This record gives sequence, C-alpha cells and structure tokens, in this order.
Amino acid sequence: MTSHDVREMLNLPNEGGGSRPAKKQKTSIARQNLKGLAREVQNLGGDNPIAIVPEISSFKKRRFGSRKPAARWEMRPFRNSARGDESLILRHWRRKTDVQPPTAPQPDQQQNGQPDEDKMDADNGESKPEEMEDSSFAKFNVKVDVPQYSEDQYNSTLANKDWTKDETDYLMEAVRDYDLRWPIIWDRYDYQSKDGDASTDANTAVVQARKPRTLEDLKARYYEVAAKMMAVQRPVQYMNQAEYNLHEIMTSFKPEDEIRRKKFAEAQMGRSKEEAREEESLLLEVRRILARTEKFNQERRELYNRLDYPTTETTQDLSTFKTSNGLHTLLQNLMTADKSKKRKSLMGTADGQSTPASAGPSAQPGSTPLAEQRRESIAASASGHGHGRHDSTASTADARPEKPTKKGAQPPERRKLTEQEELTYGVSTHDRLPSGPTFRYDRINKILTTKSNAQHARITNTLNELDVPARLTMPTKAVVDQMEHLLINIQTLLDLKKLSDKFDAEIKLEKAKKAEKDKAAGIVPQPAAAESATKGNSNGETAKVNGAAKKDGKKAGGEAATSSTEKPAAGEGANGDKDTPQEGASKHRLTSLLVTVRGRTMKMPLPKKPKIKMLRMGSSKRLAPGKKRMRDLAAVADKSALQAY
Amino acid sequence: MAQPLTTASVPTDIYGGDEVSALVLDAGYCSTRAGFAGEDVPKSVLPSFYGSIKDTNAASGSRNVFGEDYLFARPDFEIKNYMSRTESVVEDWDTAVQVWESMLLDRLQPERRQTQPSKNGLNDGADGEGDVSMEDAAISAENAENAEKPLAESPLLMTEAPWNQGKAREKAIEIAMENWGCPAFWLSRTPVCAAFAAGKASALVVDVGGANTSVTAVHDGMILKRSIQKSHVGGIWLSNQIRSMFDSSDPKIEVRPSYMIESKVPVDAGAPSQAVLRKLNYELHPSYRAYEDERLLTEYKESVVEVWRGPGRYSNPGNEDLVKTQPGRIFEMPDGSNQMWREQRFRVSEGMWDETAQLPTASEEERITKAQTVPELIRACLNAVDVDLRPNLLGNIVVTGGTSLLNGFNDRLNNELMAMYPGMRVKLHAAGLTTERRFGAWIGGSILASLGTFHQMWISKKEYDENGAGIVEKRCK
Repeated sequence: MTSHDVREMLNLPNEGGGSRPAKKQKTSIARQNLKGLAREVQNLGGDNPIAIVPEISSFKKRRFGSRKPAARWEMRPFRNSARGDESLILRHWRRKTDVQPPTAPQPDQQQNGQPDEDKMDADNGESKPEEMEDSSFAKFNVKVDVPQYSEDQYNSTLANKDWTKDETDYLMEAVRDYDLRWPIIWDRYDYQSKDGDASTDANTAVVQARKPRTLEDLKARYYEVAAKMMAVQRPVQYMNQAEYNLHEIMTSFKPEDEIRRKKFAEAQMGRSKEEAREEESLLLEVRRILARTEKFNQERRELYNRLDYPTTETTQDLSTFKTSNGLHTLLQNLMTADKSKKRKSLMGTADGQSTPASAGPSAQPGSTPLAEQRRESIAASASGHGHGRHDSTASTADARPEKPTKKGAQPPERRKLTEQEELTYGVSTHDRLPSGPTFRYDRINKILTTKSNAQHARITNTLNELDVPARLTMPTKAVVDQMEHLLINIQTLLDLKKLSDKFDAEIKLEKAKKAEKDKAAGIVPQPAAAESATKGNSNGETAKVNGAAKKDGKKAGGEAATSSTEKPAAGEGANGDKDTPQEGASKHRLTSLLVTVRGRTMKMPLPKKPKIKMLRMGSSKRLAPGKKRMRDLAAVADKSALQAY
Repeated sequence: MAQPLTTASVPTDIYGGDEVSALVLDAGYCSTRAGFAGEDVPKSVLPSFYGSIKDTNAASGSRNVFGEDYLFARPDFEIKNYMSRTESVVEDWDTAVQVWESMLLDRLQPERRQTQPSKNGLNDGADGEGDVSMEDAAISAENAENAEKPLAESPLLMTEAPWNQGKAREKAIEIAMENWGCPAFWLSRTPVCAAFAAGKASALVVDVGGANTSVTAVHDGMILKRSIQKSHVGGIWLSNQIRSMFDSSDPKIEVRPSYMIESKVPVDAGAPSQAVLRKLNYELHPSYRAYEDERLLTEYKESVVEVWRGPGRYSNPGNEDLVKTQPGRIFEMPDGSNQMWREQRFRVSEGMWDETAQLPTASEEERITKAQTVPELIRACLNAVDVDLRPNLLGNIVVTGGTSLLNGFNDRLNNELMAMYPGMRVKLHAAGLTTERRFGAWIGGSILASLGTFHQMWISKKEYDENGAGIVEKRCK
C-alpha cells in the first residue's frame, strides 16, 4: 500500500503521484511483451522497456518436411606419405563428396578384399591410387639432421683414439633413431664391437669388457663430429650467425663441466627439507643484502657529495684523527669544504669518491706508518685549502698536479675548458661577485655618472665623434667590457688633451713674454741662449717643467726649486710623458676596439674606417706637437739645470 | 558407456584423431582387455584365467572356455592362466591365441559370427550348455585357412610388459600378421600407454597391478630400459597377506567362496558361521578353489583393506592406537560370518611400504625385500635415469593399475615420496575413475591407435612380409 492508495481512499487531492499508475501499466505491458525473458533481466531495464525483439512462439515445424537427405559417409582409403613404405592403406570414415564420378570398380590394393563390400559397394568407386588422399598428419613427420661423413672424411678429421668408426656410426644411428633425445640414446646405447659380437654369437668366448659410455661421452663425441663436419662443409669464417653460434656451442661443450653439474644436481636432490628451506632463506637474505648495499652505497655517495666530505672512507682507521694535529687538519678540511659547499655541484655521483679533497689520505694504504699518515693528512689539508678555493672558482678541479699523480689515476672532476670553450659557453671566473643581480650597462653608467657634468659631456662628445652610442643597444659581456675599456681610454685621451692644451697655452705665453723681452732688448738671441739667459728668472712654471724633465730623465739631482705645490702638476706631466708610448698603443687599440664595438652594437651599417683613420691621424697630429714641444722643453730644462750648477 | 563422438563433424583438428577402426589388446596376468581404438573403455574384459575342460568322450584331450561366465564349478575342470605370474608375459601361446581370438573376433565383431553360423560354436552341439565361448584351436585354424583372414580390416595395437623379450614380441606380430591378417600392427609398452592415458609423454609410471608392481620412467613416449623396476608386490601378494592374517587371527578365519555355500543364516559379528556347505558329488580341482578364493579376497580388498596414509610408517608408535579408535569396516563372508576390521586392514597393506611390517607368508619367495617395496622401487628407478630428468619425472608420476585403488594408496605414496625427496616437487597423477585406473594401459593404447599422427608408425603387412618378424624389434623400440 502506497501513499497514493491512501490518498485515493481518503479522497485527498493527488499531488505528484500522477505518473504512478501509468508507470505500473507500462511495466506490465512490457512484461507481457517480453515473455520468455527472465524477470531479473527484465527488471534491469527499469521503466524503459528492454529493446529486445521478443521471440515469436509458434509450434514446432514439421521435422521431415524440409529436411535434407541424411549425409552419406563412406569408408575412404588413404595413405600416409610420412611412412617409409607407401603400401599401407588405411581407411577412415569421411563424408561422401557429392561430385563423384562413378568410375571403375575397386582396384585390388586391399590385400584381403573387404568383407563388407556389399555395404560399401556403391561408395568406394573412387579409390584409385593416384587420387587417393594423403593423410593430413603426414606433415607432422619431421626428422633430425644427423651429420654424414664418408670414410675419407672420417679418417682425415674425425679420428679419435677413444672411438672406432664403427662405434661412431652406431652412435650416429642411435641419434637418428631417437631424434637426439639424449636420455633415451644413453639408455638404449648398447654398442658391441665387431669381435665382441662374434663371440656372443658363437657363445664361446667371454664378451669383451666394454667401457660403459656416459651420457657426456656420447654427447661430447656427437658434438665433436657434428662441429667438425659443419666446419668441413663450410669453413668457420664463412658461417652465418646462426651456424656460427651452433658451431660455437658444440665446440665449447665440456663433458667435465656437465658431469660436475650433474653431481651437484644430484646432491641437490638429496637435500632434506630443512636444508632446502635454509638454503632458500639464505639465498633470499643474500639477495636482500645485496639489494640493500646497492641502495645504501648510492645513498652514502649522495650524502658525501652533499657534505663534500673531505677525507676517509669508513673502512679507514680513525687513528689519523686521534691526535690534536689530525683533528685540527680535519677541522680545517671541514671548514674549507663548508665554505665551498654551496657552490659544490652534486653532479658526478658515479665517481663521488674521486673528489680530490676526500680522497686525500684515505687513498694511502693503512700500512704506512702513522707519522707519514699524519704528514699526509696535513698535506692533504693544505691541498684542501688550495683546492677549496679553486673549486669555488669553478674552473679546474685538478689544480694541483702533484697530488693526483701521487694518488694514481683519478680523473679530474671537471673538464678543463680552453679559452675558446669558455668563450663559447660564456663561462667566466670571478674572484668576488657582488651580491645580487646587476645590469651590465650599469657598469657603463657608473663610469659616466661618477664623472662631473663637464667631463660627462666631453666623453659623450667623444663618443659621438666616434659614432658610438652612449647607451649600448646590446650590452653583452664582451661589448660591455670593451665599452668600459673604451671609456677608460677616452678618459685618458681627454686628460692628455687637457694637459697638452695647457702646455700649449703656457708655451704661447712664454713666447709672448720672450717676444716682449726681445723687443725690449732689440736683439734677437738664439733660443737656447735666450733660455739660458732667462734661467735666472725662470718662473715656477719652467721649474716645474724642469722637474718633470728631470724626473723623467732619472736625474734625481738637487731640485731645491721644486715646490711641493707643483708636484701634482709635475706628476701629471710625468704621467703624460710616460703615457706617450702607451698612448700610441692605446690609440691603436682604441680603433680596433671601436671596430669591435661598432661591430657588436652595429647601429651603423659599416665601420667608418676613414673616419677612424682621420681620428687617429688627428689625434696623433694633435699630440705630436705637444710631445715634441715637451721633448724640447725637457732638453732646455736639462741644459738650464746643468747651467744651474 | 563408450559412446563414440557424434559423427556430424570429424574433429580431427581438435585432438588430432583419425580413426582407422583399429583394435587394441592389452593382456595382463589377471585380466585381458580388448576393444576399439578411440573408445574410453575396453569393450571386452576377460580374466586371463581360463577353464580347461577335460573331454572324456573326445580324443582331443581338453577344450578351453574363456570368460567369467564359464568358470563355474564342474567336474574335470581346471583353471589355468596363459600368462606368467612372475613376468606378466604370455606363457602359453596356443591358449593366448585362443583367448585373444575369442575376444577380438567373437566378442568385438559379433556380426562376423552371424555371417558364418556354421563356424561358430553354437551349432557344434558338443555340449548342451549353450556355451558361446570360443571353441578351440581347430576353429581358428579353419578360419586361418579360409580365404579371408579375420582381422584383415583392422590394424591391431598390442601392449606388452616393458621387460618383454624379443622372442615373445616376434611371436606377437607373427600371430597378428599370419593368423589374423592384420593390415598393420604395433606393439606398445604398457607404461608408455599408461602415461599417454594420463596425457603425458614423459612420466614416471607406477603400475600396481595384480601380479606385479612395476615402476618405469617414460621419456618422450619411450621407456627408459635401465629404469625398469619390477616387484611382485601386487594384488596377489596382498591376497596372500590377507590369507596369512586370516590364518593367524585367533579364531582362524576360513575362506569359503560362495560356490561352497548351500545356504547361510545371519550370525552375530565374530560368531562362527552356521552355513550349510554345498556337497559336490565330484572332485573339484584345487585350482578352481584358488581362483574362487582369489575372487573373494579381491572383494575383501576392495571393501576393507586400507593403506595407512602416513606421514610415517604405520608401525610408528601411536598410529595403531589411533586407528583402533576409529570406526572399522564390517565384512561378511559368503558363509555368513562377519567381523569388524579395524587395525588389521591397515596391517596387511603395510608390507608394500615397509618390508619389516609384512606378515609371514607361506612360501619364502612371497617375501619381499626392502628393495621390492614401492618407495624403493621408485628410488631405484630414478637413480637409473639421468639426473636432469629426475625432477621432471617426480613432478609427473602416473599411478595406474587396479591395486593402486586401495584406499589411501596415493596419499601414502605421496607422503613417502615427499619424505624421500624433500626438496623436490612431487606430483601424483592418478585417474579418479576406477575404470581409468584399471584399464590405464588399454586406454592409452586406444588413444595412441586413434591418433592421426600414429598412422606413420604402424608396421604394415608389407613391411612384415619383407623384413620378417624381426621388424618389431627395429620399429617398436
């Protein structure tokens, strides 16, 4: 009874239950339709009727109305081509084929006629020998290939003092008969030599005591013969892979090993249950241990790499570290290792123990005296220092040549890169790195920004003149380096320019003064004389030049006149003088630099060679008079200095 | 029972069968089996014992009757066996031919007889007993002289004991070819057939038969001759053990087969029999009594005797006490005396496993030595084969033979082997059906002879004609 029924009884309004009767109806209809279907299966469909076409039940058809005549069978003779003789003709029941020309009566290949011929008479018309079917099982007859040999071949290659040809023949026969089933061959092997046979036949003489052949003897002989015949038919070098393998297997047959193996197998059979179980558990244990050591080793290696463990394997005795000295070195080692730990890569786990630091004293056998060991460990710790630093530079691992040679062939941890490769891979070495990332062009900017505005403008002008943009478009490392270089050179150039300008101005001034004096004196003296004449009242400026010249000429004579305030200028002058030979070189470099810089930055389509040349010429032109003048000045100064004495 | 497959389709592709209406003959000491290849039980099973009736009125001396139905008490009647007890091979070839002909020709092909009413024994009228059995050698000789040979239609597969000698084998093919005109013949060893019946080409066959127990290793369908082990521990030996037990029990138990009993009345268990014995007015040959005794004891074996399942020997302390607490079995003799058998039924069979536990026997040659016990036979057999084969053989032990149907035999065998080869996998394969166990060798022969691939093996008549009887040695290895 459902709520719907209750509602109906109490005349309550029907709410939401409208679909119910319909549902029921549906299923009942479906049930009717699907007679013969199990109720459970029907219910699987739920509300939806199962989409199965119901079977139409009707009465059985008449049995004989549409029935074909019974199939005819016949006793059909057949032969089997797998047989040695083809004479045996057996007969089996086969369905009679419809197309069957009734031909000649039965030929008499059946040896004894047929008792039930009357039954078969109508059927066995077709059994002519040429159309007799072959047994479908004939194809399963396979034979083994047993090596064949002639008398000559036997004598030339197969002769064996243990075996007569007769017995070898017998063996080959047995192998063929029993299809290489060795247990049976051995079981039935019963060779009696010719004379032995004769004696048994005559029943007079005693049968010769034969040496019983073991299974291994038989196998060994057969394989020997087979392998040799194989090699005779086709020399070993011409054999294909399969043949060669077979030959190899046969030639490598060792009866002794087989016998040993069988003895062992026999002993295995005699084991008691406990022994068997114990052995099994032991084997299991061994396998477990092996598996674990592998894992353990792996883990340990990884740990070592992580720690950059400096010395000793666990197997080494700890006596090295028992003294305070040893402990100290250990501490040192650990500290250096700790320092470089962060940069130490975890690569190279395969040869983890080959890190030179860790391999230090441990590589030395324990038989060495303690003192030597200690020395060793100290040396190792020293090497550890050097090495740690070296490692941190991340360049070459085997920096210390004497250590690895001492230790023997230990492969360097990292491959040493050539300069070319370093360039290619962008590897660079740094003594010290600033913390945090920086932009490369910051370096350029830094150079520029630290300068005063005037200087900055001048540098920018020069750059403009050189047609190099102040801001690099592609600040690769090389470009930035060169730019830096360029800027420094430009700086020097500007300094020199400034200096030379100053000198020019002074010279002009002096010349003007001199002209005035000459005008006053009315005579035109020689310059040198004039110089010497003006010696007495030479002002601080000439003194300064003198000083500079003197310093330059390494004439550290008494220069009382040089004042302390003039020193910087003198230094500057000296600097300028000193720089002159470098200047040319730097100029030269500058141009090449420019080319490279231009090449890299490549805003302009082509490096402006003529301009550079001009620049060079211009600068040298501009510098050359200064230099000349300075040299002149120096000479004057010398003279005047000498005269001063 | 032996329904052939429906012939609607020939399922050669399924099991490789291709029947050529071959016959299979399997002769043993206790019974001889014959039937059509491809069936699962022999159509005709006769005891190898036959009756020899002395003809008083004829000069021919005696005539033989075959089949259980004709072995009843009558005057001048002697029970004989054409097989040798110790070897289970044919001893009396003349009678063997008669027995086999009565089976292969008369019982398997009755329509042959109907077509030749003059030749069958029915119309001889020599004896009024309606004896349908094969008459004698005269008829078979007559048949042989006839134009058609009796088995010209059917190839014949015979089984033989694995230790069968060359002469006997040649004799077998001679009979098949010369006397019966078989188109093809094959001689197969019983262990091989038993292994085939179990579906194995390689097996260790433990055949516990009536007269003998043999253990043979079969490898790829061939016996390993060196492995053959034989012992007389079998059904008849067990009967003797039972006799010995009956003799030594406190009120001596008489073995009186049913032909001796006129009438009997029920008596309490352990009470002496009150049966009325039948009085024969002629002297019965003792061989008949022995034959009937044996039948009675066979029944006793089937219903009472059990093998201690192990582990360990039955003689181990405690085992017998345990058995005593368990329900026994009651056996009622034909004379009405009955008794509950508890521990004795285990004791009689223990000698198969433990030579020290065997009961004293009448003759010394009945005694078995340690080497003749079943486990020792198996051990010796295994020791005679290549080491590499042993594990496989131990994993494929086929148990066959009627005496192996003793309750608990397989369990005990399994336990003994497990104790003997603790580290190895031991697996027994024993057919569950009684018939399959009793006729294991015949069934294997039936399978073999109906295989399509076997056609190439047959020795054909032509080959026999060309090579003589010696071909059987060459071919049936």
